[in-house]
Amino acid sequence: MPPVRKRRRVKWGTILFFLIPPLVPLSIFVIYPIIGTFYLSFVNDHNQFTLNNYISVIQQTSPDLALVLLNNMPRPPPWGALIHNMVWLAIHLPLVTFLGLALAYMLKVVYGRSIIKSIMFIGMVVPMVVGGLIIRFMFEKYVGVVPVVLGAIGLKSLARSWTIYPDTALFALILGSVWLWTGFSLTIHAAAIDSLPNSYLEAAKIDGASEWQIFRKIVIPLVKPATLTVVVMTMLWDLKIFGIVYAATMGGPGGASTVLALVMYWYFARMLAYHKAAAVAVILTAITMIPISIFIRWVMRRGR
Amino acid sequence: MADLSKPAIVISIIAIIISIVAISYSAAMLGNLNSRVSTLSKEISGLRSAIQHIKTVTPSTVTVVKTKTTTAVKTTTATAVKTKTVTSVTTATKTTVKTTTAVKTSAAPVTLTIYAPWAGDEKKWFMAVVKAFEKEHPNVKVQYVTMRAEDLAKAMPIQFAAGISPADVIFTPWAWWIIKMAQKGYVEPLNGIINPNEYIQGIIYKVEWNGKLWAAPFTMWLKPGFWYRKSFFKAHHLWVPKNWSSFLKLLQTIKKIPGIVNPIVSGDSKGWPLSDIVEHFLITFGGPKLQIELISGKVKFNSTIVKHILGTYLVPLIEKGYFSKPIDWTTAITLWWHEKYALYFMGTWITGMVPNASDLGFFTLPGCKGVVGGADYAFVPKFAKHLKLALEFVKFAATEGQVIHSSEPSGKVPTWLKAPTSKIWGPMRQIYETILKRHMKILPDLDDSVGGSWQLLFWDQLKLLWVEPHKLDQVLNTLAAHFPYKRMASFKYPGMSG
Repeated sequence: MPPVRKRRRVKWGTILFFLIPPLVPLSIFVIYPIIGTFYLSFVNDHNQFTLNNYISVIQQTSPDLALVLLNNMPRPPPWGALIHNMVWLAIHLPLVTFLGLALAYMLKVVYGRSIIKSIMFIGMVVPMVVGGLIIRFMFEKYVGVVPVVLGAIGLKSLARSWTIYPDTALFALILGSVWLWTGFSLTIHAAAIDSLPNSYLEAAKIDGASEWQIFRKIVIPLVKPATLTVVVMTMLWDLKIFGIVYAATMGGPGGASTVLALVMYWYFARMLAYHKAAAVAVILTAITMIPISIFIRWVMRRGR
Repeated sequence: MADLSKPAIVISIIAIIISIVAISYSAAMLGNLNSRVSTLSKEISGLRSAIQHIKTVTPSTVTVVKTKTTTAVKTTTATAVKTKTVTSVTTATKTTVKTTTAVKTSAAPVTLTIYAPWAGDEKKWFMAVVKAFEKEHPNVKVQYVTMRAEDLAKAMPIQFAAGISPADVIFTPWAWWIIKMAQKGYVEPLNGIINPNEYIQGIIYKVEWNGKLWAAPFTMWLKPGFWYRKSFFKAHHLWVPKNWSSFLKLLQTIKKIPGIVNPIVSGDSKGWPLSDIVEHFLITFGGPKLQIELISGKVKFNSTIVKHILGTYLVPLIEKGYFSKPIDWTTAITLWWHEKYALYFMGTWITGMVPNASDLGFFTLPGCKGVVGGADYAFVPKFAKHLKLALEFVKFAATEGQVIHSSEPSGKVPTWLKAPTSKIWGPMRQIYETILKRHMKILPDLDDSVGGSWQLLFWDQLKLLWVEPHKLDQVLNTLAAHFPYKRMASFKYPGMSG
């Protein structure tokens, strides 16, 4: 006869004791604003249901507010805030992930690596507005490191103020952000690499594997959880990017570097069009849910 | 389970602490509200007894005091303001004078909070006005907070919607934003507080809506033309141009001077310095009327005249490198002062931002008949903590305060016609008198008048034009396509048809 499983009594008192305290502030400061924003995006000034807020922001063609400007392609930006965010993802994400991983591996054998890592991490702790200003100076003709170096190696056409030209402004911000955000990728990857058992690497060396083979066949697969964290966090960073764009270019010139969060801000603070701002916020949230859901699914799968 | 219990307890403790803080804050707010209600009740009863007293002593002044009482007690002052409007200006002045007495005799110290956009030296010149007000009101302490128009626009509407105003008086150059706030019912009308007829033409209309006055003008800036250093011009035998070819020759000569990067430095921040240059070209070659017609949308940006003016006069100068690439406008002042550039198109506030204002000279483009000018405006939010005092401060700032402010090196001139010209700060007085002598028409700022998202688009498109002048048609078409014609159709400028 199989043993009779005792049904565990649900202790509602205990559950409520633990649940209510966090739920109260969460409801006030997180859940209510989320619901409020969602509601606001679907109503007009008279609180009547409408989809016009979404239609209006999607159909917007003004370069500084447009989400998509396909007719301008393949010419240089503006391409619309949504496309610009995708360009951020396409360039910024792989660069940051790979640079962080490669640097972390290389620094493993470098003397004074803690100091180098600390310096690299500074970009992470710099306020975004300050970061934006630094980027502006980094790409400024005559004084910025990038134009000066490019000019010195003969690339005269790129030895100019990147942030004031529509064909380079977006890329200046992305590359500048690589400098700011690589410290995060480096720190996460360095922690993961440091925790790898030395025996794996030593065994590979004894078997005659080259440094590249060790990096590709052993390090990369073993630090995959850290890489996934970096990928997801960088995706979120790219999608919600605002501060450095605002400080460095204000989304210009001619809307060439605008992004979703900035468009939301213009609707909110400049046009006082709260319903449209809420609609952009919901679109932004919906897009950011994609990497978050991937990450959560992966965590859950690992947990099982 | 045991593993999870520890972090759960920690999280719960943190959550409890947050809850306690939130509840304490709410309780404090309620307490504050309660104390405000009780203070208000005391004020009401005090005013009631004052009315009774006055009724027995001087029956003739009862109407005036009643008006004052209503203003003090009720925050919605429709009736009170109506009474003030129908009564003469003298009555309104009487009301304010009586309010002053009430505040002065009150022993309780009051802190009046003012939000204004000025920082650094600009703040210093404004603080002279504040100090004069504090001197007249020993029990009043003014708390000054620097808050730029952009920051106000994002922070205040939410506060107002919640029935709160952290500031008693707010200064901003964005008249369109004040009207927007007034339309939502967040602003106290100023009818009867100042006399609109006492201000220069074209200043008051911007803050009028629905037959009411919603803000008081403060001092005015002008954007008169290209500034130069007299010493630099003298050292290099340069001249003030009398016609367009003379202007072109001047630019060519400057370009050849060793050490000069470009003849004209282009200021940048959010793009507004570039819009000032464009407006100056449009006014010069299209006449003052074009400026008004562009604002009202009667003339479109992609019209032949605009294309012709910018294409013939401005774009070739940009292409030839006579203008620098946009540089942060404050950095540009330093570079221009240190003779990296010879000319700088900027507003009169530049006089207060250079080491030696007496070395400053300016000229307009030859033949220019209009100068863009605009004022900062002060308004009182309906939810101001010290409504009476705030109204009093606004009146002071809009009248005597202007005299004080323009006597400082603020680079501003008074908009109050009763302010004596002789008291304007020397270098600024000369500029002002030159403009008056040339009979130049003071015109509204194009992008400030339109405001909203189009203003931002205008600035951003001009930044594009400055680096890619061949895109003139694209820029003008974009500006024309997104101009708020419907909203601006009703725009009227006193004395000129739009």
